[in-house]
Amino acid sequence: MRLFSRRVHELSGAYALDALDQAERERFERHLRRCPGCAEDVRQMTSTATALALAVAAEPPPGLKQRVLAAAATTPQLPPLPSAAAGRRRGRHVTRSAWFPRLALGVAAAGVAAAVALAVVTVSTQDRLNTVQSQNQALAAVLAAPDAQIATGRSSTGGSATVVLSYAEQKMIFTSSGLPQLPNAKVYELWLLSTGSAVPAGLLPEAADGKTAPVLASGLTSADKVGVTVEPAGGTSAPTTTPILVMTLPD
Amino acid sequence: MPAPPPDRDPPPGDDTDLERLLALVARGDQDAFETLYDRLSGPAYGLVRKVLRDPAQSEEVTQEVMLEVWRAAARFDPARGSATTWALTIAHRRAVDRVRSETAATGREQRSAPFPFPVDDVAETVEANIDAEQVRRCLDGLTELQREAITLAYYGGYSYPQVAKKLEVALGTVKTRIRDGLMRLGNCLGMSR
Repeated sequence: MRLFSRRVHELSGAYALDALDQAERERFERHLRRCPGCAEDVRQMTSTATALALAVAAEPPPGLKQRVLAAAATTPQLPPLPSAAAGRRRGRHVTRSAWFPRLALGVAAAGVAAAVALAVVTVSTQDRLNTVQSQNQALAAVLAAPDAQIATGRSSTGGSATVVLSYAEQKMIFTSSGLPQLPNAKVYELWLLSTGSAVPAGLLPEAADGKTAPVLASGLTSADKVGVTVEPAGGTSAPTTTPILVMTLPD
Repeated sequence: MPAPPPDRDPPPGDDTDLERLLALVARGDQDAFETLYDRLSGPAYGLVRKVLRDPAQSEEVTQEVMLEVWRAAARFDPARGSATTWALTIAHRRAVDRVRSETAATGREQRSAPFPFPVDDVAETVEANIDAEQVRRCLDGLTELQREAITLAYYGGYSYPQVAKKLEVALGTVKTRIRDGLMRLGNCLGMSR
């Protein structure tokens, strides 16, 4: 046991430089949680690595900033991670049940969005659950809006999309089902379209069981169509391919 | 009511300012994110480009990194390091993942890094950055094996078994050289406490 820990301990430098493969990285992280001394070592070595990074800082390309800011404006954020310590103290997982009844209530109130609920319950990883939780209130607001409307459309490459929108909330919820899986370096990007303009409205998350979790897009004021294109991972500021789906939004 | 913070630039390496910004970003503050972008995108892009070399790919990965900073801001844990360290750890890991998946996909081991890695390369990118000169000096103070192992792993994105192969030394040797080298580097940079 002692020999094992010492050997693992020697990996702290390689860990700080991301020089472990996935399996070893995970093993080391498990070790870290039980070894405060190692955590302190890693903390110091990681800040040393930061100095190595700062030494090679370079001017980023000029267009990048606007693209990042535009994408951020439509990218939902993750809630804080329930800390491992807090989870242990309470002896259970913290978030799993909290969001579900509230979401169900929102869906029932709107009475239009079976497709959305279906997409929501099929997401499985903790990250997705957390994302869904953080979107929950905003989703419920759209679903429950008195003017909520639903529209569906088919993709030219197979699969379909469902949109719930509220002009009062100026928001739209987009889900898809059965879109072909993309290679790693590609992503489906959502656009709000109006005459002569395409505003990025977020990236579709990876599908679970063929369905993508709801994407919430704001700023629905002038758009009259919604479109989806295939773009490089991370998305782009303007569509670079022909849309695989264009839906006219109800008035 | 707490007094407003004094109106001056924080000393280099002081991250309290960034941590405050990050807390605002975690609440969805887009103006704070813009300021954060201005502070972190240069280091992130420089690092990603150092590892990936290809400018177009580097831009793409930097975009992913900055979006991840936006998305995961609420998960920043100051106990584990500064805000800069957190963001640059994300950047490095993404760049390394990209390099490794690419290497695996094309089955090519020669990803262009000339060997031995020219240490001169380290300082040339940003002459203006005073840290760069200090980092270079401290790297020069390591043994050759420590320096090569660290630069291959961090700037080259190689895993430590790949580093061992390239340097033709035993796995265990690489592990300890990286560790000892990093500690010495940290001392030289005045980072240990």
